[in-house]
Amino acid sequence: MTASFLQVRGMSKSFGGNQAVRDISFDVHDGEIVGLIGPNGAGKTTCFNLITGFYSPDAGRVHFRDEDVTGLRPYQMARKGIVRSFQKTNILKGLTVFENVLTGQYLAAKQPLWRTFFPGRAVARAEAAARERAAEIVRTMGLSARMNAPASLLACGELRLLEVALALAARPAVLMLDEPAAGLNSHEAQRFGEVLRTLPGNAVKSVLIVEHNMGLVMAVCDRVVVMNFGQKLAEGAPAQVQADPLVIEAYLGGAAARPA
Amino acid sequence: MKIERNVLITVVAVAALLGAVLRDQYVLHIAIMVLFYAVLATSLNLLVGYVGEFSLGHTAFLGMGAYTAALCSTHLGWPMWITLPAGGIVAGITGLVVGAITLRLQGPYFVIVTLAFAEVLRLAAGNWIAVTNGPMGLAGIAQPAWLAGRDIIEAKVFYYYVALVLLAVAVYLSYRLVYSNAGRAAVAVRENRYVAQSVGIRPLTYALTALGLGAFLTGMAGGFYAHYISFVGPEVFAFPFMVSMIIMVLVGGKGTLLGPLLGALLVTFLEEYLREAKELRLSIFGLAVMAVVLFMPRGLMGFLLRRREQRAEAVVPVTRPESAA
Repeated sequence: MTASFLQVRGMSKSFGGNQAVRDISFDVHDGEIVGLIGPNGAGKTTCFNLITGFYSPDAGRVHFRDEDVTGLRPYQMARKGIVRSFQKTNILKGLTVFENVLTGQYLAAKQPLWRTFFPGRAVARAEAAARERAAEIVRTMGLSARMNAPASLLACGELRLLEVALALAARPAVLMLDEPAAGLNSHEAQRFGEVLRTLPGNAVKSVLIVEHNMGLVMAVCDRVVVMNFGQKLAEGAPAQVQADPLVIEAYLGGAAARPA
Repeated sequence: MKIERNVLITVVAVAALLGAVLRDQYVLHIAIMVLFYAVLATSLNLLVGYVGEFSLGHTAFLGMGAYTAALCSTHLGWPMWITLPAGGIVAGITGLVVGAITLRLQGPYFVIVTLAFAEVLRLAAGNWIAVTNGPMGLAGIAQPAWLAGRDIIEAKVFYYYVALVLLAVAVYLSYRLVYSNAGRAAVAVRENRYVAQSVGIRPLTYALTALGLGAFLTGMAGGFYAHYISFVGPEVFAFPFMVSMIIMVLVGGKGTLLGPLLGALLVTFLEEYLREAKELRLSIFGLAVMAVVLFMPRGLMGFLLRRREQRAEAVVPVTRPESAA
């Protein structure tokens, strides 16, 4: 077993009287894809927001690479190497696919302010490298044909891919995807799963994914964490979780316990 | 990117040639005002067009620059080539200080605070008689020694080229900012704050960069105005300048570098032509702005770019989903 990478310990958050997340703990290890699943309203997205600093937790800590990163701002989390996508598609609508991914490389292409106004060779090289890498990411995600299309004209499935491409551009160590396959048809989802499988160890170290498409989750995840009503219900290998009667009852709903 | 750069260079080159040809005092004055307004509109556009925050307080920086240049010139006897950058730097620092406080607000809150800030400065300029000479303003700001003994046309040509240099500086710095990693970060903040943050961009940093640079350029323009008109009063802080800047940026096309230049040219000429209409002038401008916002939300440049894209598409048919509603 590889050393723990991202550690979430005893995380809680309530909104008004509603306890959205209650005492959640789990790990993401180096090199694995972890699925975070559960029925609607189970608190998965809240978990994402807590880990990435969009919300601050009422209790609990987040450790990343032996560093306490609880309560950092979202941009600081990104600089630590934790980059997320959003459930409701969030991309830079006014820009093209290529420009989106290019913008995503902000951290890698960052320059001192004076360099912005008086760029030299080094800046030109960094820009060229960023452009090259952007094109490469667009290709990896299978969006080459739409490279220069405005993001506002993309179809739903393409948007989800662009969102992942944008997150990848930020060179995360942990890539956190919130329902990346929503709106993809089964063929697209399968292809997406194949791309996802190639990421750990290459473009990213680990992936944490919230997803409702069980076929995809079971196919790509090394481990699955199941949430229900803000609490952790089960954790384990996909097959193990699928067989768990508690999970079947709470999440898959009795008779529907037949994964695709 | 390349096209925009070439057009910008052409515009500046043509303006440089024009300066050698124009010899009519009135026409030269209009041309100088076009250049002056182009600097203002360009600097406002950095914030409005690229970061996406609307400032109604840009006259604060214009006034700070104008008063700084006027005071440095009359009290310290500094020459114009020092007072202009001094005005820019004071305005720039003001911008950073104001921005550090107000840019934590967004949308309408930011708009209101910036408006209030400019208004407070206007009142200060009108009442702090010991320094600003109150409503009487600072008159008789020194002209450059080079102009001594030259006729009025030569003086106008001189100011024309000073304004052109300012504009070239403004366009160069804006161009560099816009087409850099920092500029992309600013646009990311404009397009989607959450995405920007999730890829590591700190929104405040780039809002401040754009505001600071915009304030610096506006301050230099203010200093230029002080020397050119050789008078500065509290009205440099007043709303009419702001209205002109907004109209230029919106009509020309925010978020493009050429738009504000086009806007400055159009609006300055219109203002001159509509002089006969007097009070009606502002109403006509109001209607024009409403029409632009309704029918050409990206301004004239946005309109032209769309036309070009559509033509390009007509020539090279691209497979595109039909759902683009």
